[in-house]
Amino acid sequence: MGVEQENGESEKILPPIEQELADELDAKVKKYLRGEGANLEVLKDKKLRGQLSVREELYGISAKAAAKTEKWLMPSEGGYLETEGLEKTWRIKQEAIGREVDISSSRKQYDIVLPDLGPYTLDFTPSGRYVAVAGRKGHLAVVDMKDMKLIREIQVRETTRDIAFLHNELFFAAAQKKYTYIYNRDGVELHCLKEHGAVSRLQFLRNHFLLASINKYGQLHYQDITTGQMVANFRTGFGRTDVMQVNPFNGVIALGHSGGTVSMWKPTTAAPLVKMLCHPGPITAMAFHPNGHLMATSGKERKIKIWDVRKFEVIQTISGHAKTLDFSQKGLLAAASGSFVQILGDFSGSQTYSRYINHSMVKGYQIGKVLFRPYEDVLGIGHSMGWSSILIPGSGEPNFDTWLANPFETPKQRQEKEIRSLLDKLPPETIMLDPSRIGTVRPPKSREKPTKQEVEAKIEGAIDAAKNVEFKKKTKGRNKPSKRVKKRKEVIEKAKRPFFDQQMEDNPTKKKQKISQVNELPTSLQRFARKKATA
Amino acid sequence: MVDKKRKTRDDSKNSKHKTLTFKRSKGDRGKSTQKKRGGPRLPNALRKELDRVNPKNQFNSGEEDEDISSDEGNDFYEYEEGVPEEESKKNRRYDPVDNYEYELPDQFQDENVQSDDDSEYNADENNNGGLDFKRRGADHVGSDREEDDEEGHVRMLQDITGLPREAIEGKKNRRDVVVSEPYPESEYNPTRDVLDGNGRITLEDLLEGLEGKPGYSQLRKRTHQMQRKFKPLQAPLPKEVQDRLERKAAYEKSKKDITKWEPLVKRNREAPTIIFDKDIDLGFSTIGAIASEFEPRTEFEKQMASLVYDKKVMDAYKEDGARLLELNKISVEDYRDRQNHIAKMRSLLFRHEMKMKRVKNIKSKTYHRLLKKDKKKAAFREVQMDPEAAKELAMKQEYKRAEERLTLRHKNSSRWAKRILERGLNVQDEGTRAALAEQLHQHSLLTRKMNSMKDNSSSDESTDEEDDEDLAGSDEAAASKLLTKAKEKTVKVLEEDDEQPSSGVLSLPFMVRGLKKRKEAAAEEAKIYLEEYESSLKQLEDTSGVDKPKPGAISGRRVFGVPRKQTVEPSRVKLDNSSENSGSDSELDANKNIHDGLYNTNNSQDIKVKSVSLDDNAVSPRDSELKSLQNLDDIVAESGPKTTYDVAIFVSDTWKKQMGTQNDEDRSIDKSPKVTEQVTQNQDLEELGEGSGSDSEGEMVDGMLSASPNSSYKLPSQAELIREAFAGDDVEEEFTKDKEEILNEENPEPEKLISVPGWGEWTHVQKKKGLPSWMVKEHESAKRKREAALKRRKDAHLKNVIISEKLDKKAEKLLTKTLPYPFTSKEVFEQSTRMPMGPEFNPATAVGALIRPEVVKKTGVIIKPIKFEDVDPYEKSQDRKNNEPKKKHKTNRSRVRTKPVVAKS
Repeated sequence: MGVEQENGESEKILPPIEQELADELDAKVKKYLRGEGANLEVLKDKKLRGQLSVREELYGISAKAAAKTEKWLMPSEGGYLETEGLEKTWRIKQEAIGREVDISSSRKQYDIVLPDLGPYTLDFTPSGRYVAVAGRKGHLAVVDMKDMKLIREIQVRETTRDIAFLHNELFFAAAQKKYTYIYNRDGVELHCLKEHGAVSRLQFLRNHFLLASINKYGQLHYQDITTGQMVANFRTGFGRTDVMQVNPFNGVIALGHSGGTVSMWKPTTAAPLVKMLCHPGPITAMAFHPNGHLMATSGKERKIKIWDVRKFEVIQTISGHAKTLDFSQKGLLAAASGSFVQILGDFSGSQTYSRYINHSMVKGYQIGKVLFRPYEDVLGIGHSMGWSSILIPGSGEPNFDTWLANPFETPKQRQEKEIRSLLDKLPPETIMLDPSRIGTVRPPKSREKPTKQEVEAKIEGAIDAAKNVEFKKKTKGRNKPSKRVKKRKEVIEKAKRPFFDQQMEDNPTKKKQKISQVNELPTSLQRFARKKATA
Repeated sequence: MVDKKRKTRDDSKNSKHKTLTFKRSKGDRGKSTQKKRGGPRLPNALRKELDRVNPKNQFNSGEEDEDISSDEGNDFYEYEEGVPEEESKKNRRYDPVDNYEYELPDQFQDENVQSDDDSEYNADENNNGGLDFKRRGADHVGSDREEDDEEGHVRMLQDITGLPREAIEGKKNRRDVVVSEPYPESEYNPTRDVLDGNGRITLEDLLEGLEGKPGYSQLRKRTHQMQRKFKPLQAPLPKEVQDRLERKAAYEKSKKDITKWEPLVKRNREAPTIIFDKDIDLGFSTIGAIASEFEPRTEFEKQMASLVYDKKVMDAYKEDGARLLELNKISVEDYRDRQNHIAKMRSLLFRHEMKMKRVKNIKSKTYHRLLKKDKKKAAFREVQMDPEAAKELAMKQEYKRAEERLTLRHKNSSRWAKRILERGLNVQDEGTRAALAEQLHQHSLLTRKMNSMKDNSSSDESTDEEDDEDLAGSDEAAASKLLTKAKEKTVKVLEEDDEQPSSGVLSLPFMVRGLKKRKEAAAEEAKIYLEEYESSLKQLEDTSGVDKPKPGAISGRRVFGVPRKQTVEPSRVKLDNSSENSGSDSELDANKNIHDGLYNTNNSQDIKVKSVSLDDNAVSPRDSELKSLQNLDDIVAESGPKTTYDVAIFVSDTWKKQMGTQNDEDRSIDKSPKVTEQVTQNQDLEELGEGSGSDSEGEMVDGMLSASPNSSYKLPSQAELIREAFAGDDVEEEFTKDKEEILNEENPEPEKLISVPGWGEWTHVQKKKGLPSWMVKEHESAKRKREAALKRRKDAHLKNVIISEKLDKKAEKLLTKTLPYPFTSKEVFEQSTRMPMGPEFNPATAVGALIRPEVVKKTGVIIKPIKFEDVDPYEKSQDRKNNEPKKKHKTNRSRVRTKPVVAKS
């Protein structure tokens, strides 16, 4: 009875604060419900309806409990720059921010100047505690960002184009001049991945334990680092590129090409899932929003476009040139070109990005890479004179989930997490554009091909039937055993024929293609024919 | 006399009505009597003679004699026809016609009509006044005649005995004269009046005695009411129907009864989790715990317990155990006694062993024969004495019978027997024939149906064994029983004979007539026999005393109908026996024929012979009867094997025939399936062809051609820069081209229409018309199809996007092929799987409920059957509205309960 009263109260006008709280809670509950429940009224099956309603009830309880505990589990809220009057956020300098924040935060503003070993690129661990930096000329270093301690620094003495952490800070891969190498934290070379070739960009798929690379021949490689198996090796056919980004939501890899197209790949199909023309000119940079819905691309024609990946439609076009792009955990977009960094933010909630913070480096510094540090309001910038880090208020996720990433991880925890993540490793086929489709009902195929075994069984059955056919008894001369045998053979052949015919019909296209190709050029000139990039 | 008569008529409630229907009724009666041949018709002189010989028959004898006497009365009645005529017309209300023609049938007895009479009369009176007087009159005829009968009878008695009328007419003046019945009154021994048929005791009769007493009028009123409501009882429904109705009613009841469980069962079904006996502490069931619970139950156990828990012993055990030794002490005498006893037993055992050895070595045949006999006797005695043993034996025999019937082992099915039969029986020597016959005998013995086996089966026909048993106990009761049985059997046979052959020589009219005559003669003989039996029975009863009521001695039509069989049956057997004795085995077939043909003639002769013999032994009828019956039984027993013999041969012949037919059938069966198989094969082929045809609408699937390469590999140098600078020139165009290519690959464009020379043209005339229409149509339809397919693509509306439509086979396995069972809609299923279950995604408070199994039960807890408890059927709906805290409270409460419980959360 008390319940109903409560319900009645909620309908009545609550004091404003309580109302607000209730609304907040409702919003949170909705989030934890992960979508609407099915309409159970439609169901005719009473038993199922009962079961599902019980389930839904349980979900509701769970979501409510989660929503209620959220304020304890996620105590801090993200900050942001707030201005008064005519002041603009992008006018505020880093020095001004540094003056306002606490000491530990102000320590995160720094420039590390390493002028000799050329433009630097960098990569953070998922927890944001460690950073790996790689200088173009072979300078590799792993730094503990918590206490700014250099863990290991090595000089590989050859061109290093990219660096990427593997599943934890113990291992990292470096794309060097000819091959990709895997080092451990102590700088010991563990593997030389020759198959990848001269890789220009490296990406690591954390949930699938796949190391993806694009080399200078435009080949996309997927290698499983737990087994060492090369999962996939595709020729993209779009030429050389150094724009590659993983969609963190579904693990699909997007490549930006010089033709202005972006292609999306997964390791189980040789053809790109999607190919879209984003810019009329070559694509210079690309980034994905952590929720996987947004993609930002920039082209040589000085445009930055923000796309809705679900609909493959442009949301916003921003003029400006970007050599590198990155989304922060909270959805801020950093774009850098030359020595100028611009942070765009979506504050209206309508997915329209506007200027948030501007930052210009020292003149002459060429920024090669911008990367937000997870769980910190920090943007790492790799440039030609070393790397720097600046404060971007409201960029990082303030509350970390120790299940997911723990910046204060102990070695023990790290070990356990490693085991756990290995157990939870996803197979490569789970990479797809819409991973929520997993476990749903397969759309009906128009016509299912019979399997090979079925076909064979059918053929055998037909042959058996043909063998058992009784012949008429013919007149004297025509009933010879030899003739009978001959006839029997004929019957069997006849029975087999339709199946072979069908097999021929099933794959005629390949032959036709070959013929057409042959027809294009005389044999003597065929060696000069340009090979088409087919799978 | 006339006055008297009038008086009696007035006394009897049923007034006399003479109507036109007399004639008809007479005809009917005549028919019925014709069918039921009464006793043998003796000439009057003889009858008189008989009466003189034993006049007391009429008074002292029981029920049967009454009939006969009434019969006699009929004879007298004929002379006095004129007298009642006047009386009947005293009222002059009805036409005075029929009485002249009226003639009593030679034998009258119809109780049923009489019994119906009263009730119907009353009912009719109420229902339809005087309209059906005629019918009523017809109904009353019986009583009328009866009265006339009695009148005659009385007169006759008066003449014979010379006694005053009042003395003889006790029956009429029921009120005045008290006639002492020789039997105690009971339902088994109805009063004479009832048995006479006339004086059915009606309710009125009973009420008369009460007239004038207080409450009489009330009683009468009630009886009147009852009679008014009276309706003829329906015959009871057949047992199956009765049972069905009962079951139906029971079903309805139990259905209603069972609905009370519904809410309880519903609750349990709807509960996500059922917790069984959560708080029961199983504890450890150790051997000691189990042993401590032991309680002595049987005598032996109690004795043991008394010894073990003897106070002395227990005390000794508790103290230090030293006394235990003392208690263990045995005196020397005891020990010696025990030893002696053991020695004695051993020597006895040894001697017995030696004896058995000796006995085992005996080779004498006579000894073994005697031994066998003894054993048999013992077994028989045991069977007789002990119902359990009898039952067991019966079971054994039943089993053997079933086995025999299944295997037919003794039915000449062995190779040896077959061979002999093949060669012909006549060729064989005596020994083999005897052996064969013996086998068949064995079979017949084994397969004979045993009636006495089942305890509850009350067989109407008493078997020969029973008779034997009856004979064994040779007291007078048994004798009388025998007699009644004999009587019954004769009557039965008499009845059975009635069936007339409907075809063949015997159905010819003169044969039928002859048969009828013979039958009638036989029936008369049988009647005499019956009388004999009855007389002897009466004698027996007189001697043995009146106390014992004889259930078998019930007279009346029913008894008369049942016990006719006997006399002829034994005679038939006798006939068989004689023929078998006279003829050899080869004559048997002939004998069978004779048996059919001559049966009727022989029948009467035999009976005659027998009757003569019986007459001879008339002085001591009982003994002779017994003897003859015994003989008959013996004969019956002996006749077993022989009679079955020819039957068996016949059976074997048919068996052969059957084999032949079976073979034929087999052949035919063999043929037919082949044909069908061929047909099916053809069908299969056709189906295959069709399948292949449908499959051959091939699908153009192949690797997708990627976009045309616009980049030839070059060093990133000046040239590249230039290329980059001009890259944007035709990017869009290239992309659209790419897209088209891919689309074409997946949905190929129909071939261009080309006029093939020679196709669709005959001369130049048709050239003007252009391409044939069917070609154009086909082309267009293909085009339309392609467009539709293109429209269906996801990227149909996105100009600059190509979305691959290819299926990823590896990813297919992550999707379900079909909807899992209870789900019928895809949406609901997909919605139901949207929430993760693990502890990583749910608060710890909710995870437990989410992943709790359907049944929670400790190992070792016995799940008891559901017990009824009151459940509010609307509880659930309220629950749904309830919010969390209340529910939690509920779970707690339910957990506290110890019974099988539905835990909700």
